[in-house]
Formats: sequence, structure tokens, C-alpha cells
Amino acid sequence: MTRLIWAFTMIIIAGALAFAFAQRDTFVYQTPFPVDSLDPAQAYDTASGVITENVFETLYDYVGESVTEFQPALATSWTASDAGDQFTFTLREGVSFHSGNAFTCADVEYTVKRMLVHNPSDSGVWFMAESFLPTQANANAYLGDDATDADYAEYWQWIDNAAVCADDFTITFNLIGPDPAFFTKMMSNVAAIVDRDHAIANGLWDGTEATWRDWVGVNLRDFALHNNPSGTGAYRLVDWDGSTAVLEAFDAYWDGVPPIRNVVYEIVEEQSTRLLAVQAGDADRIAVGDRATLAQIRGAPGVTIHEDPSWVSTTVGMIFFNHNINTTDNPDVGSGMLDGRGIPANFFDDADARKCFAYNFDQDAFIAQVLQGEGAKLTMGLPTGFLGYDPDLPMYNVDFEAALVHCEAAHGGAMWEQGFEFTATYNAGNTTRQAALEILKDNIEFMNPAFRMNVRALSWPDYLAFTDEGKGTMFALGWAPSYADSDYFVHPFYHSEGFYAGRTGINDPVMDDLINQARLTVDEAEREALYSQVGQRAYETMPMLPYPSPTTFIVTRDVIEGVYLNAMYSGQFLWKDISKR
Amino acid sequence: MFAYIVRRLLFMPVVFLGVTLMVVLLLQLLSPAQRAAAFVRSDAQLRNLDAIIVQYGLDQPFHVQYVNWMREAAQGNLGYSTASSEPVMDTIRKRFPASAELALISLIPVLGLGIWLGTLAALNRDKAIDQFARVFAIVGWSLPNFVLAIWLLVIFYGALGEPLREFAGGAFRLEPGRVSTSVNIEIANGNFPLHTRFMLIDSIINGRWDVFWDALRHLVLPVITLAATSSALIMRVMRSSMLETLSQDYVRTARAKGLPTATVHYKHARRNALIPVITLSGFTVIFLMNGVVITETVFNYPGLGRWFATAAVNLDYPAVMGFTLLTAFIVVVGNLVVDILYALIDPRIRYG
Repeated sequence: MTRLIWAFTMIIIAGALAFAFAQRDTFVYQTPFPVDSLDPAQAYDTASGVITENVFETLYDYVGESVTEFQPALATSWTASDAGDQFTFTLREGVSFHSGNAFTCADVEYTVKRMLVHNPSDSGVWFMAESFLPTQANANAYLGDDATDADYAEYWQWIDNAAVCADDFTITFNLIGPDPAFFTKMMSNVAAIVDRDHAIANGLWDGTEATWRDWVGVNLRDFALHNNPSGTGAYRLVDWDGSTAVLEAFDAYWDGVPPIRNVVYEIVEEQSTRLLAVQAGDADRIAVGDRATLAQIRGAPGVTIHEDPSWVSTTVGMIFFNHNINTTDNPDVGSGMLDGRGIPANFFDDADARKCFAYNFDQDAFIAQVLQGEGAKLTMGLPTGFLGYDPDLPMYNVDFEAALVHCEAAHGGAMWEQGFEFTATYNAGNTTRQAALEILKDNIEFMNPAFRMNVRALSWPDYLAFTDEGKGTMFALGWAPSYADSDYFVHPFYHSEGFYAGRTGINDPVMDDLINQARLTVDEAEREALYSQVGQRAYETMPMLPYPSPTTFIVTRDVIEGVYLNAMYSGQFLWKDISKR
Repeated sequence: MFAYIVRRLLFMPVVFLGVTLMVVLLLQLLSPAQRAAAFVRSDAQLRNLDAIIVQYGLDQPFHVQYVNWMREAAQGNLGYSTASSEPVMDTIRKRFPASAELALISLIPVLGLGIWLGTLAALNRDKAIDQFARVFAIVGWSLPNFVLAIWLLVIFYGALGEPLREFAGGAFRLEPGRVSTSVNIEIANGNFPLHTRFMLIDSIINGRWDVFWDALRHLVLPVITLAATSSALIMRVMRSSMLETLSQDYVRTARAKGLPTATVHYKHARRNALIPVITLSGFTVIFLMNGVVITETVFNYPGLGRWFATAAVNLDYPAVMGFTLLTAFIVVVGNLVVDILYALIDPRIRYG
């Protein structure tokens, strides 16, 4: 009996020793963000992007940390027509998918056509669709309930014409019109090349005209590529159980097998658990919510905080003024009149009112207190480093004298005389947005005792619904790039038909004209000048107030080498580029 | 007894109908845009909010949504959970064993400690041990789970993690999660088949004592957290019940006829004193199965509680419905088991 107990003890101790040391060939990334889907035509969130950008590849890719320099990936060269509406790529030969299928032009053609056929409403296909089709929407949504077969036939023609193979390794994309952003759009996760034969073999759309209508707008989470992807990337998915994803180096990767054998993407919601895990060596990289938390691990043995002043976040945070507030059943407008107890629908339609607020926002205090001194002021709603971002433009910062001029002039002097009270909103849990609004509140209330600005949090669902109904008076939101083109920011922010227009009621024909011009020209210098003018116009009219962007940081174990930050990668760097000592 | 069990089981569909109807009605208080939030993970997705509402049928009348859901549920399809990015049934199938394993393992110290300490306190009424047990109960019951969980994690995984490992010659380390990363990789590669998804059982089936030990040490901290709270309640009930039993006539008779003290206490008194504890232990299992949200979250334990917490915050209503159904099932079955145990322990109780 004693021998048996000893033998049992020795077995479990030997087993325990096997797990006692972190494995050198495994990279563990702990993050609180759940992955939505691994199908590029469905996934539109950062967490999914972290995995898909390592499993799949695009035709071209970014060079290191640059978002303006590109290198061949699945294509080796490209040309564009003078009009900017036709792009031809020569594809790389000798590339294999994880399934073992060979990569050819048919895969690229299938990738583009399937995304246009499916185009789920909650995916990122919309920005690809607008390059090829006269709409961002899928066929059902665009054509409506009364559509005829002829309408669908016409829609199919656009899809069928979008991507055409000249031979096995040459593809031409025919756009609906000039699109200077198309090349960078083709480097987004949405445009990752999928394995046609693998997809069809696993029950997805067969690529024919005969069946395409059955696949319009479907939820791709219900189909095979959601959790059984086959790409050409350096890592192949081994398993994803909804919580943990395990990936393995792809031995037949065309650019050489990556140094790290296994990657584990693990959802760990609790931040303190992640912080302890990286210190214990159980995690090689962790997501850390905000810079203030870094103090808990700065200097901890074995932990490296990668940071660089040039790593300014490409997510642009904005305090939006609603120029046309929906005051119906809206508790945030008080009395709904400019009587000191509320605000009217057009309160922020007055440029002086907006500037009064803008001159009360203390950008330096925001950087010092909220971003722990690591951030950059923005002159306009565009990330620094993007084409046309003009760092020399004037910007608003706290200036009580300048503010006084505009506060007294707003609404013909009535605002200063009567005062106001309203409530600004942010999504609960976003302390950065909360702090931005509270800094503004403190200063604006200091200006005049009759000024009352309340700040309240709404849960994410409530926040979506509330702002969607146009009820947000002043609200804070952000916008992150899906592809590295300035139009992705400028149009949603400033155009009267842009995404935020429905929530802000913004309508400036001068601005619209500048943005439309920039959308149509393929001359880079001309576009740069036009975006600079957009920035100038934004300064003059102050339709919304960008707040400083944080400087990004990455927390890893010190044994991880090769870390860099490319703002266009969801995971900041590709796993194939790092190694573990 | 058999008729009673059948009656209770027949009552189950009514319970399911009631709870699901209630959940659907409550969800109708939210606008379609609010419910669409489950599908919106980035600011950029906001642009298609209206189309998302149409695509997922969130603008349909509530009875249509409910009937659709019921029809699918009847076929075993509880919908798709955005919180776990997979069908609800798959999530339940994967996570139920994890939570059940944690709950059942926790039950050992919960009952063991609670009954032992409660008995000891009652037998030593107002003495030092009784005072200690009462303080333990108050502290255990009032200490928030997340505080204790984080303390344990910071102390045993953080500060003492490495010293403990070195002290044990590299063989012992308390850490969060369900198994080590290397085991997760083995599972993903199919090298460690999951027959039951109960990790301890699977490791025995696969003859992998190393994984058995690995899973066991991952359970230590969450089990302590759960045991501290739940055993306090069991201890209080056991103490009261024991005190009441000790004052009964038959106990006095047993003493009077000269039975050894230990026999009187542990055979005559404690057996009867256990009846309310048995009832409570049934509810404790239900509580442990469903109420371990914080513990699972802090210790990164992939169970149902962690999933439901994420689902509820994101208004992932298929997940909420699925979890509600499962909870109803556990409560009904749990109560039934308690009733049966009750009858077995106390022969006076019979069900007609």
C-alpha cells in the first residue's frame, strides 16, 4: 500500500513539473476581448482581427510600423488605371492554403465576389462594396422588397464584373468609379483572401450566379469559415472554443516558418488576473485597459512595457455637438428652451456656442490627468500620420478670454444672459470619454454660474439607441480605422451624409464639397491639400471637438523580441515577426 | 414516491414556459436598437444599426419572436450567443461540466467544514471554539466573494506563487484557469480527448495523472473562495439544528440509558440535525452552479457563470434565455433530489 502511495505521488509530481515552466515555443496573449468571428466577410471587431490577420493574408501588406509604405504579400506587383477605377495585381505563385489547396486567382476572385454577395449588415464589407457597387448595402437591403429579377440581375452584373481573372495569377478589379482609397482597402482584414475550394467544400456559396441570391445578407457566423478558416497566413487555427483560440505555425508558409510554434489567444476578463499572469510568466502579452494601470507593473521583473512617443493611437476620440437635437421625450434637454433650465434643439447649431465650449476644453489637463502625460493633441478629426493631417493648423485649447467672446455672442447673447442646463452622455465604463466631458463641464460651469452641464453614463445598448435617435445633446465617441485612408475618418465625421450626420445633424455644403473632391481625385498631393482644407474648415466652424489621442503601449514579457506597433494591425504586430528568448 | 417524482417532472415544461415567457417579456422593455447592441462591437458598426435590427428580426412583434424562439428551442436550437461566439447549446455543453466540476468539488469542503464546525460549535456552546465558529460564519458570509478571490489570487498566485513553487521543488503552483496552457494546446490538438468534459474524470480515463494534478491545483483557489462563503451558512444552520436536537427528549433518554457520549452526539443527535442541512445543501449546489460569476471571472475559470455575466451585460438574449432555461432545470431537479434525500433520511416523511 505504501509503495502504491509513493508511486502515485511520484507520478503527480512528475506531471506537475512538466507544467511548471513556461514553454519557449508558445506565445500566450491574454485579453478581455472576445472574438466575434474568423470569417473575414463577417468579422468587424478588433479581437477577431488579431487572429484573422495572422491566419489570412491580403494582396499587399504594411512595412513595419508605417501605414503609408506597403510591401508585396499575396501579390507581387500592381498597377492602376489613370482614372483610378481599375486595379490589376500580379499574384504570387507557389503559395499554399492551410488546407493544402494552392493559391490562385480564383481564390481572390471568389473572395471579392463572396463578400459582395453576403455583405452582412454588421460586417465591414460596406466600405469594400462602395468601391464596386453604387451602394454600401447588400442586394436585399439595396433593392428592397419590390425588387424584380431584372434588378437582381443588374446587381449580379456589378458583382460579376468586380473581379476578373486574366489568368491564374493576374486579377483585375473594376470599380464603379475612381476610388483613391481602394489600394489600402485591399489591405484591410475584410479583404483577406479566403480559400475558395475549402469554403465550397464546407458548404459555403458555390461561387455561381445560380445560387448567389440565397446567400445575400446571411449571418456568416452560422457557416464553416466562422470557426474553420483556411488562409495562407503564418499561423493556422488549431481550435477555437469561443473562449480560447489555439494556433500553430504553418509549416508550408511561403515566407518561412515563424519562430514561435504555438500561439494561445485567451480571454481573461479580469484585469488583475492578467496583470498577475504576465508577472508570473503565464502570459507573454496582456491587454491593459489604461495607462494609469501601468503603474502596477512598471518595473516588475520580467515585464516590459513597450512605448514610444510616436505611437499615437489612430483611434480618434471626439466630443460631438448635436446640431439638431431630437427633444421629444429627451430628458437631457431639460425644459427644451434656452431659459436657464434647458436647451433648445438648435442649441449647438450656433457656431459661437460650440466655440464657447471648445475654448473651455483643457487639452493639456486632459493629457496630464487622463493620459498620464502620454498623448497628442489633434488639430482635426484625423489620426496623426494619415494623408492630409496638418499639424500646423490652429486648434482649440482652454482660453477663457476667447471663450468669453463666443459665450457672450452665442444665440444673440441669450445664452450668456439666460444660462442653460443640459446633460452630456458617454458609454458606461469608458473613463476616457467620461473624463473628457467632465473637464469640459468643470470649465464651462466656471465661466458662468448660470451654465449647467451634467454628465451621465449610459450602458452601451442604451447609448447606441439614444444617440441613434438623435437625442444625444453632446456625446463622446471614437472612430478607429479599418483601412489606412483619410476618407475613412473625414467622411463619417464631417460629411452631411457621413455616418455621424444622423447623430449630429451636421450639414455644411462647403465641407461636403471638399470631401467629395478628395474622394474623386487620385492625385495624392491634391488629396493632401484638400484634407488640410477640411481641417481648416473644421477649425473655423468647430462642428465637433477632437480630444487628444493617447500614446499606445504594449505589455509583454521581456523574453519577447521583435515587438513593434503598426496601427493598422488589430494586434499591433504580426506574430510571425516576433520571437521568444 | 414514484408518482411524486413523475408529477414533479411533468411540472417542468410549465416552469420552462413561465420563465422563458418572463424573460422575453422583460426583454421587450428594451428597444430593438438596445437589443441590437449585442451585435455591435465597434463604433464603426454603428453605421448599420437599422440594418442589423432588420437582419436579426429584432423589430418583429414579441409573440413572433417568442414563437420563433420556441420553435427552434423545441428542435434543440437555443440560438446563437454573441458572448461566446457559438451556438448556445454548444456553450452549455462545454461549460456546464466545468461549472459542475467546480461546484461538486467545492461541495466537499463546504459540507465537510460546515457540518464539522457547526457540530463542534453546538457541542461547545459559548466556549472559545463556538465563538470562533460564529466569527468565522459572520466573516465568511459577509466577505464579498470578489474581495476574497482577489486576495487569494494576489497572495497565492502573485506574492507567494514563486516561493511556493520553489519550496515544492517546482511541483506546486496555484494559478487561475482550468488547466495549464500546455494542456489547452494538447486538448486543441486532440491529444487529450475530452470524453466527459469533467477534467478530473477525463484525466483518469486518459490515464493522465499529470493533467489530473494540474486540474486539481487550478481548482484550489476558486474552491477556497466558494467554500468560505457557503460553508459559513451551512455551519450556522448545522449549529442551530444541532443545538435544537441536543435538547430533544430522545437525546436525553439516550444519555440516561448510558450510551457513550460520542454515540449520542454523532449517531443520535447529528443524524437528525442534518435534515435541514441536507435541504440547504441542495440549494447550495444550485447556488454554486449559478452563482459563481465573480469566482469564475477572477480565476479565469471557463464556466457558465462567466459566460452568463458577459452575456447579460451585452444583452445577448439567446444566451440569457438558454441560461435561464438551464437554471430552471437545475432548480427543479435540485429540489427534487433534495426532496428524495429528505425522505430517505427522515423515514417519517413520505410523499403520496
